[in-house]
Amino acid sequence: MGAVKNYLSVAFFAFWGGLARYALTEAFSFYGTALANLLGCFLLAFLTYFFLRRTNARAWLNTGLSTGFVGAFTTFSSFNLDAFKMLAAGSSLPALLYFTGTIVAGYLCAWAGKKAADFAATKMLERG
Amino acid sequence: MIFAVGFGASLGALARFGLTNYGKKHWMRQTAFPWPTLVINLSGAFLLGLVFALNLPAFVYAFLGTGVLGGYTTFSTLNTEMLSLADSGKKRLLKRYLLASYLGGICLLTAGYYLGTVL
Repeated sequence: MGAVKNYLSVAFFAFWGGLARYALTEAFSFYGTALANLLGCFLLAFLTYFFLRRTNARAWLNTGLSTGFVGAFTTFSSFNLDAFKMLAAGSSLPALLYFTGTIVAGYLCAWAGKKAADFAATKMLERG
Repeated sequence: MIFAVGFGASLGALARFGLTNYGKKHWMRQTAFPWPTLVINLSGAFLLGLVFALNLPAFVYAFLGTGVLGGYTTFSTLNTEMLSLADSGKKRLLKRYLLASYLGGICLLTAGYYLGTVL
């Protein structure tokens, strides 16, 4: 029963995660994909490390938000496609900058998300 | 269009969730190397290259490319997994995971694209 609940939660939240990314790319083209990816790295790291400290949180909600929403919000395939499109259009320097820039920034955003989660969890512990 | 993207993303995420659960049980018994996410991202990149090259109608591309494959692959899990490998001091696995994901991703997407142009 718990498994079914998790799958339903993932499907429901992924619908909105995918749509949010689509809206961003419609508005800002490939900047939208980059924005979704970087924001998503921060959010997923935050959720992962925050929920690690708070085990009483509802598991299905955690799975839906992280695997469903943020997982579908970010995309690895479009990131590669955007870099490929730039390369194919002959702009190799922007392609290289976009590719390496997203890789480095993605990791930094995840790191910042973890730090924010540690900070938030400590604050909550202090308050009791 | 909106429904195609959202519904596609649900399907893609379900496939990712299912494969991750399966992979964690069967492919990660003796290693911390995140095989499930790597397999998902690399196969998704290959398929997106293929789908992009096929010049499908906008509606079909929104469903398959933006929806299904966008929801199937994930950039955030990749980075969170790299963070956790770094935290546990597994530098070697981290390096391999990074190279396999990013070099493999762009190579496989290109391969998928050229396969698509031939088809």
